[in-house]
Formats: sequence, structure tokens, C-alpha cells
Amino acid sequence: MPSFFKDRKPKKKRQQNGENQTTDYPIEQIEVSLSGNLNNIKKKTGNSSDVVIREIKMGSNSDIKTAIVYVDGIVDNQSIQEYLLQSMMKDDHKGEINQHNALDLLSEDMMTIGNISSVTNLDDLFASLMAGDTLILIDGVDRALSASTKGGEKRSISESTTQMVVRGPKGAFTESLGTNTAMVRRIIKTPDLWMESLQVGRVTKTDVTIMYIHGIANDKVVKEIRQRLHRIDIDSILESGYIEQLIEDQTFTPFPTMYNTERPDVVAGNLLEGRIAIFVDGTPFILIAPAIFMQFFQSAEDYYARFDIATSIRLLRIFMFMISLIAPATYVAVTTFHQEMVPTTLIVAIAAQREAVPFPAFVEALLMEITFEILREAGIRLPKAIGSAVSIVGALVIGQAAVQASIVSPAMVIIVSITAIASFATPSFDMAISARLIRFLFMIGAATFGFYGIILCLLMMVVHLCSLRSFGVPYMAPFAPFIPANNGDSIVRLPWWTLRQRPRLITANTVREGANQYPHPPASRGMVNRDLEEGDNNEA
Amino acid sequence: MEKAKISASQLFILMVLFELGSALLVPLAIRAKQDAWLAILLGMLGSFVLFLVYHKLYSYYPNLLPTEYMQKILGKVMGTVLAFVYILYFMYDASRVLRDFGEMLLTFSYPDTPLFIANALLMLVIIYTIRKGIEVIARSGELLFIFMYVLAVAGFILIVSSGLIDFKNLQPVLEEGILPTVKVAASETLYFPFTEAIVFTMILPYLNNSKKAKVTMLCATGLSGINLVITMLINITVIGVNLTARSQFPLLSTVASIQVADFLERLDVFFMLAMVIGIFFKVTILFYAATIGTANLFKIKSPSKLAYPLGIVILFLSIIIASNFQEHLHEGLYIAKFILHIPLFIIIPPILLFIAFLQKRKDHGSKHV
Amino acid sequence: MKRKGFFLLLMMTITILLTSCWSKKELTDLAIVSAMGIDETKDGRFHITLQIINPGNVAGGLQGGGGGSQSPPVTIYSASGDNIVEASRRASGRISRRLYYAHTNLVVVGEKLARKEGLNTLIDGLDRDPEFRNTSTLVIAKNSTAADLVKTLTPVDKIPANKVLKTLEFTERKWGENVKTSLQEVMKSIESPGRGAVVSGFRLVGNPQQAQKLDNLQESAPGATLRASGIAVLKQGKLVDWLYGKPARGTVWILDKIQGTNININWAGKKEAIAYQTVRQKTSVSAQVKNGKPHISVHTRVEGDIGDMEVPVDITNPKVITKIEQSVRKEIKKELRSAIERAQKNKTDILGFGEVVHRTRPNQFKKLKTEWNDVYFPKLDVDITVEAYVRRAGLRNKSFLSGVKENQK
Repeated sequence: MPSFFKDRKPKKKRQQNGENQTTDYPIEQIEVSLSGNLNNIKKKTGNSSDVVIREIKMGSNSDIKTAIVYVDGIVDNQSIQEYLLQSMMKDDHKGEINQHNALDLLSEDMMTIGNISSVTNLDDLFASLMAGDTLILIDGVDRALSASTKGGEKRSISESTTQMVVRGPKGAFTESLGTNTAMVRRIIKTPDLWMESLQVGRVTKTDVTIMYIHGIANDKVVKEIRQRLHRIDIDSILESGYIEQLIEDQTFTPFPTMYNTERPDVVAGNLLEGRIAIFVDGTPFILIAPAIFMQFFQSAEDYYARFDIATSIRLLRIFMFMISLIAPATYVAVTTFHQEMVPTTLIVAIAAQREAVPFPAFVEALLMEITFEILREAGIRLPKAIGSAVSIVGALVIGQAAVQASIVSPAMVIIVSITAIASFATPSFDMAISARLIRFLFMIGAATFGFYGIILCLLMMVVHLCSLRSFGVPYMAPFAPFIPANNGDSIVRLPWWTLRQRPRLITANTVREGANQYPHPPASRGMVNRDLEEGDNNEA
Repeated sequence: MEKAKISASQLFILMVLFELGSALLVPLAIRAKQDAWLAILLGMLGSFVLFLVYHKLYSYYPNLLPTEYMQKILGKVMGTVLAFVYILYFMYDASRVLRDFGEMLLTFSYPDTPLFIANALLMLVIIYTIRKGIEVIARSGELLFIFMYVLAVAGFILIVSSGLIDFKNLQPVLEEGILPTVKVAASETLYFPFTEAIVFTMILPYLNNSKKAKVTMLCATGLSGINLVITMLINITVIGVNLTARSQFPLLSTVASIQVADFLERLDVFFMLAMVIGIFFKVTILFYAATIGTANLFKIKSPSKLAYPLGIVILFLSIIIASNFQEHLHEGLYIAKFILHIPLFIIIPPILLFIAFLQKRKDHGSKHV
Repeated sequence: MKRKGFFLLLMMTITILLTSCWSKKELTDLAIVSAMGIDETKDGRFHITLQIINPGNVAGGLQGGGGGSQSPPVTIYSASGDNIVEASRRASGRISRRLYYAHTNLVVVGEKLARKEGLNTLIDGLDRDPEFRNTSTLVIAKNSTAADLVKTLTPVDKIPANKVLKTLEFTERKWGENVKTSLQEVMKSIESPGRGAVVSGFRLVGNPQQAQKLDNLQESAPGATLRASGIAVLKQGKLVDWLYGKPARGTVWILDKIQGTNININWAGKKEAIAYQTVRQKTSVSAQVKNGKPHISVHTRVEGDIGDMEVPVDITNPKVITKIEQSVRKEIKKELRSAIERAQKNKTDILGFGEVVHRTRPNQFKKLKTEWNDVYFPKLDVDITVEAYVRRAGLRNKSFLSGVKENQK
């Protein structure tokens, strides 16, 4: 809460300064003298050891001094050597260069690099230098050329570690924005796939790209997203999570209102439904807006598998989510308030176990849950070599020892394990995290008022969920408001030839499939080299 | 009025949940003994007539809340007073339902908890809901409607598979003739629970398609009537007429009799679940109508601010309206009927309709000239 | 403004957490009562005996509770009071926990109490309580006090209440001389104008003192056991008669509660030669009133198999089957007739005839209602029609005795 307030006051002042994301320097021009420029560059970068300055002599008498400046490590050395230096130093037109036509000659005749632009002020100069472009400065000219030579070591495309599927494409996004957008372009090959780039973050100047399919996505939502992104005024954007938290609809809710994913096929599928993807340079997690509740229970594999297995697994997932939410709470409620619900033999068994345990059921549940959260958090940071051994030994030893020391009862251990396993069934990590937190709320409700407490918490959760909106779309669509045409893809997944419409509340262009997609196989006899006659459908 | 729209199906669901809300709890029309189901049916048919009256009033002023059109029909002063009386009635009804619920909870599950706490907790959730507005209420209704029906169907299946239903309990049919049944219908089931839905006249202006209002209202009443008939049938066939008449909560006794496969027993907690949901909606809608009416009458811009004070009033009212459960029931059955139900449901709306009709004819006549 | 809201929320949360939850019942604070016995003391008060489960000794396989052989699985406490509620609360002085009745599936009423006071006075306390279930079974202790019955330890079933319940259930299904009546059913039949109630009886065979000891279980044939014994006839809640054997079974038959039983018929001069096992039956009772006189017809339809033949019978011959069916019919008719006559002698309509008249001829029943049991029922004209069918005969058709007889010829 305090940081929420802090952000407000500076925003008011900043709006006076215009959109330039000002630094302390006024808009400076590039100097005419080469040495002056180079000194400026060295001073501004504090003589950083990875800024490379290479001076070249050009011109008929080799009297025109030029220099190329680049930052080693984020440029592609090969393209500098082969295209820049080679073209500059070995070109035939070299002799014709003089101060006036130097830039034009270089940019239009001699350079064999793909992307060249000219730079006039120091801000843009440093921006492109730091982004990985190579600067070409010429003595006597007050402009500079910046050639796009972005490169350097990048992670190659590997398998997704957080959203795995058995069937489906395995590649995941990497940290480089260009690679990521290219991966999506390869899947959606229509020219209607539009991208807009902007830079967010005063110091990090992170590239952020919005991608959507024009004609399917809702223009108002695109405009809203653009507006919200432009309003962000922060010094650094290190991950898409920053952007998510700065533009989301509602902060005080445990449920995420924007979806994020690491897989290009998921992004493509969402774009085709009319959603908008936000790419952030430096992270493989792409944001997708608007998001609805059911999305967090869908995985890409649902769409590649056939409808019966996809439906059953989706139902299972939702069931597991409910279990992970209310299982410990139900156990506490039943053993503390509603002992009549349990069959007599079971209650006697549970009573026998609880005779030995000193704590009331609620405290026991709380202890076990907190222990499990600690284990889970620690487990993320365990090195892989020790990880599995510790987990097996730890689980067995801690579980068994705790039960024998009569600190917890065996039934409680079972419940907590089932809850933990169930919570991993949710495909989206964000939703699983919210379940972890809400579970404690349910437990407190159960401990104070039994089932009545659980029902009240459930009611409150339902009302809260129904009041959320994600960029204008009600969070609980397509259940509430109930849209029959879209319900083929919510809890169940009906065969692809029935899902003929895109989500109505997200896009206006709702026709996804043509009519009559139901498979009409011809009689199989006809496929085996025999002549087919009318009405010939029996095998006999 | 807030800027919100609900669809016809959402209205339907809200009405069904509302009418089922506390009617499932009490022994409805049990004075007709085995023919209780018939009394409920007759009450439902009678309420259709009254609904047509309410609908006609709505169709004259489709975008105005009843508090507003009452002022138009009867003039500013009289209209305001009448609207205020209706608002007070809604609050009283909300507190009655809340008290019913609290008593049920305390009787069978939480005997040591003070009534105030049980009511206050539900009231907190309701206040939170009211602040969000009618759209959220409608949407939550859609979700919880499915849940409640799943529970109902599951309960029904369990009862049938326990082999508890004995149709002989329904005989002799019409033991005393049809007249006592009609009497019970006219004096009890007509008011509770069917015409309590007059509160929906406050919500009809939010409907996005006013042509569907009549069909929706009648279908919803029909569906909830059939549900109540089935429930009463199950009650009587499973536990018999005498026990139903003697029980404070017959459906609870029915659910308590379920014994399937030796381990599915004593499932009254699910009954409690369904009850909480039903009563939650009933109180929410009554409370919401009162809030909107008040905001409209006293020209308050944001109704959600009224939620807290009105909520606390209803909460305290639910504690003080009766000092024990028996008095509460007696009040509802005998006293409220004459003072509240008959004038507010049966006498005043037709009068309003008549005056509105005359006014419209006058307007029409003057327009022609 | 937000600070104030936050503070308010904090206060409310703390208040809720401090309340220590009024209706909370920790499992370790509960004494689960599995059976309750009700007797009458000498000065007319109620004396209840409570069978409380010892969880540690019942649930097997727990590491700390391995000493199950040392102490019995149930513990008995008793108390007296002017009514059941008072007695139950007085018992709290002897038990270290709170009595929990939600799992009390068995209520045993002593015979003396049933004869003298009847069940009417004790039912309301049990009916009204939200914790006590109406579905629990009611049983009358025969020739002993309810206390003795409740104190008995049983082999095979750790919790003695389970033994009584399961015994009743299975004997209802297999032999048909007893019925498992829940409290709800007893209430319904006592309340209904044309009916008396039937309740099963249970007997302690053996020494009551021996029954309480754990050594009782150490023998292969325990000295003291519980067995189902007869049906009690209650007139207006008071016990008036016990039924055994044929009248008992006939009564259960007319009540349409028989699920399977065995009927022996005489054949070829030998008594009880063929055993006929019923599989399915349906009994319907209809009523007519002529000139103010009621008239009942009972119709029952039975299907069954042949279970045992002690004389060689050629059942491959359909005519023989028909003859067997006729004999079965006669037997069943005799049983039903004996049941009706017995009930008429007791002047208690436990067979539900009055209710049938009430359902089909309500107007006429109104006139007969008050004197049904004493005046009209004993003089009732009852028509019994039986349809019996033999469907199968097990794995064999002719008995092996037929082969023996042929060899002798």
C-alpha cells in the first residue's frame, strides 16, 4: 500500500516534462569535430572498457577522418567486420568522399548493411549505441550514421520449462525480443498481424512490443493498452511482471487478470481469438490481455488432443483446483464441527489418531501447510543434484517422524499431500499461487465457523470473481454472463468442428470456422480401390 | 439508478433463486396436509394474475424505478410516502428472511453461537455484494444457480436411491374436499413466497430488453413453483404428513433420512449449503431494492455508500423483530399477512394500475386533440 | 479514509479470532455414544446406559495403541433423571468428555419400561434434539434390562451396537422374523390412527455378569451372546405381546417387509420335506367398506426357488411343480391367517389395515377411527389370496435320493 501512494505524487510532476523521458541533459546536437564527439562519448560512458572506437581514414587523400564506435559484446562482430569495415575500407568509391557527400555516399552507395539511419542528437546517439548499433562518425559532419548490427550471445531456442506438453511444439520464447516476435510471425503468416514498439523505463529503456491481429482484435482494447503503456513512468522494467502490475485492472485481488505464457503456439492461439500480446525484451514471458478465469485452467495440449480426453482432463483440473482450495478447510470443519457427516467407523479411526496429538485440528493444519510452503519455497533453490535425494528422504523422514512423534496425525499428512499434489495440476502458475493464499483464508473460516465459514468464504470469492473485469471483459465469461456459443470451450472442450465462434466479448469478428465442418468420411470401401455406388455404406 | 444492464436469463435466474430462497426451508402450506402440493400449485397460478398487474405497470414506465413512477401516478407527496412504505417493507422482509436463516443455522448446527454473529457474518458478505452492484449480483447468481441445481439433483437421486419415497403417504388425496386446499392457497401460498417477488419490479428497469420481461417473470415463477411442489412432495412422501407438519424445517428432516450404501448418511450439511445460497440471494435482492429505492427517493448519487448503514439496520432489525422463533413464525403467518401482504401486494398495485391507465388515456386523449 | 477501513477490518478480524468459536467440538473432547439403553428405575425415573466407544481400542493398526487386547472397545456409563435430557446431562458428572449422540445408531428400551410406561414419553426428547438422529434403530430388550444388553461385549464386531444393527439387518433379509425399525418409523406408526407399532426384540442369552467381561470374548463359544428374538407388539406405545415364529413372520409378510425366507412344506407324508426359499414377494392390501362394515383383502405374490428336498421328488414334471406351488400357497395362507388372528386377539392393528381404509375410504374411516383397534379390527373380515411360483431349483433337478430310490426298487 505505501508504494501505491508513492507512485502517485511523482506522476503529477512528471507530466509537465513532456514525453521525452528526460535525462538531465538538454537536447544536444552532435558536434562537428570528430575528436569532440569521441571525447563526449568517452566522458558519458565513463571510459567503459567495452566501448570500442576504431578510427578510419577515408577520402581521396585519406584525409577525412572517420570513426566507428560500438559496444563490444552486444554487437555482431562478424557483420561489423564484413559489412561495415570491409565496405568502408575496400570500396571503390572511397576516394570520392568529401565532407559534404560523405554521409549520403556512405549510407546509400557503400554500406552493405541492411538497416542504416542517421542520427542528429546526442540522446538518440547514445540510445542506438547502447542498443547494439554501430555509430559512424565523420569529422566535419554534424550528423552520424547508425548501422544496425545487433547481435551478441543469446540463448538459443530451447524447450519450455514451465509449460510442458506431451504433444505440440516444444520451442519456447527466449530473452530476445526479435527472436520472440519472429517465432510468432512464423506461425501467423497474415499481413494483418500488426506490431507496435515503444520503449518503457527511463534507465533500462526496455523495448516493449504490442502485437495483435488487425480485424480480429478489438481496437478499443488496443487503444487502452497503448494508453496504459504510455502512462508508465518508472525507471526500470526488468520483466514483464513489472508491466503487468503497472497496467492491470485491479491490484487488490488475488486472481491474475493478465495471462502470461512462454510458448509461441499459446500466444498465436490467443491472438487468433482476438487478444493482444505484449512482448518485453529480456524475458521469455509474454503478457496476454484481456484474460478470463477459464484461461488459467486451459493448457495448449487441450487443443491438440481429441475432445473426450481433453474434456475429461479439463474437468479433472477444475476438480483438483477446488480440492486444493478447500481440502484442508473441509477436514478441519468436519473434524471440529460436523463430526456427524463422517461414517462412524471413519470418525472412530480419526478420533483414535487425534487422541495422541496435542494440538487442535486447525493448528495442526496450519502447521502442516506452513511447513509445506517452506519446503516448496526451499525446493526451488535446491541444486539439482541434491534435490531429489533430499525430497525423498525429507518427505519420508519428516512425515513419518512427525507422525510418530505425535505432532501431527496421519490423516492430516494425507490431506496436506493431496492438497499439494492437486495444486500442481493447475497449468498456470499464477492461479496456483492465488490458490495457495486463498486456502489459508478458507482454513481460518473453517476453524471459526465450520462449514458455514467455508460457504461464506466461497460466496465472497464468487462475488469477487464476478466483479472483476480484465480490460473491459467480465472475468467469469462465458459462465456469467452466460454465452452458450462460447461454452464449448470452457469447462469442456467440444470437438473442433463445433467451436465455430470466437469469444463474443473479446472480439466482434466472431466467425472462426465455416459451417458444416463435421467430418463426412466417404464409405471406407470406396477407399480401397473399388467402385462406389449410391448408397453403398455397409461393409458387407 | 446505476448504469447497469442485466439480461433476461439473468433475471430469470435471480427470480428463481429468490423464490426458492427461504421457501424451501419452511413447511409450506402444510395446513392442507397431504394436498400441500396442490395448494402451492394454486397459489402459483394465482400469483400469475398479480404478476400480470405488476408487469403492466412496468410496461407503462419501462425505464423508471417504481419509486419514481409512484410519484408520477399519485403525485409527489403521496407517491413518496407510498414508495417509502414499500422500501420499509423490503427492509422488514430482508430482516425476516435473515432471521429465518439464523434460526435454522442455530437450531441444527451451531447451537451455542449467538444469533447476532451468525446473521452478522452473512450480512457482511451481503454488504460487500451490494456495493458491487446489480451486474455482479446477476453474474454470481448465474454461477451459484448451477451449483444449487447440482446439489438439488444429487439430493433427489440420493433420496430416490435410498428407497425412502412412499407414494402412499400422499393418499387420501383431497381428503376434505377441494375447499380447504383453496383456502390455504388463497391465504398462505399466494403471499409467501410467490408475490414477494414484487421486489423484482425494482429490478425490471435494469433489463436490457423490456419485451422479454413478461415471459421471463412468468417462466421463473412457474419453474420455482414446480420446484417447490416437488420439494413438498418429497417431504411428504418421505417423512409423512404428520412429521412434516411438526417439523420446523421439514426439508432438513428429509435430508437427514438419507441412508445410502452405509456411508452416505447424515448429509444435512449440504442442505445448509443450498440454504445459504438461496437465502443469500433473497436477502441481497431485497436489500438491493431497498438501497436503490432509498438512493432514488433521497437523490443520493452513489447507492453503494448506503449499503453499510442499511445493512446494519437490517441486521439489528433481524434480532429485535421477535424474541423467539415461535413468535417470529406466528408474526409471519398471521399478523404480517393482514397488515402488510394484502394491502401491499393485492390492493395497491391494481389501484396504481387503474390510475395509470386513466392517466394514459387522458394523455392519449389530450394528444389527439 | 482507507486507514479507518483498514483499522475496522483489523478489529473485526481480531474479534472473530478471539471468540474461541462457540460451537466448536474438538474430536478429542467428544464421547461418541454408539448405543443408548433406557430403563425405568424403581421410583419411575429414567435410567439410561450409554455405550461409549474407546477410539484407541477400536481403530486397529496404530503404533501407539497396540494394547487393544487389554481394555474393551467400549465403556459403559449410566445415569438417571426425570427425562432423557436430564439424565443425559447428569451423566456428564461421570464422563470426562461431552456426550455426542450423532452416531448413536441404536436405542434399546427395557421390557419393563415398555410394558409399564410405553415408548410415548421418551420419544419426544429423542425426536426434538438436532444431534440425535431419527434414523437410529429402536429395539426392545427381552427378558432383561436394557442396561444388560448395552453392556454386553461381542466377538467379531468390536462395537456391540454394530452387532445388534447388522444382525437385525441380515435376519430381516434372510429369515424375516424380525424387522429393523427406525425411530422415525415407530413414530409414524404410533401416530397414525389405524396402526399399532412393531419393534424387534433382542435377548441376552447367558449370564449378564459374564457378558460384561472381556473374558467373554476369549472363548470360541462365548458364554453370553445377543440374539434377535421376536417382535414386540405395541398398542398405543405400550408393549402388550411378543410374537414368535409363524405369527411373527406372517406379520412381517403382511407389512410387505419380507425380503427372503424359507418355507417348508409337507410332501408325501413327510413333514417339512421340501424347503422353498423365497426370492421376491409383493404384498398389497386393499379395503372396502360395505354398509359401514370394513372388509380387507390381502394379496401376496411370491417367487422362489427350491432349496432342499428330503424326499425324492420329480420336479422335471411341471405338474409336480404346480402341486408344490399349491402347497406353498396353503402354507403361506396359514401363516398369514395366524398372524391376523393373533393381531386381532391383541386388539391391535399392527398390520396397517386401518391405514389402508383411511387412504382409500377416508370419509368412512373417519367414523370408524376412534374405535378401530378395539371394536372393528377384531371383527374384521379378511380375504387372503396367495400366488406362489417356483422358478428354479438350484443346480440340480432331481434329488440324488431319486437315484437311491431307483436302486432300491
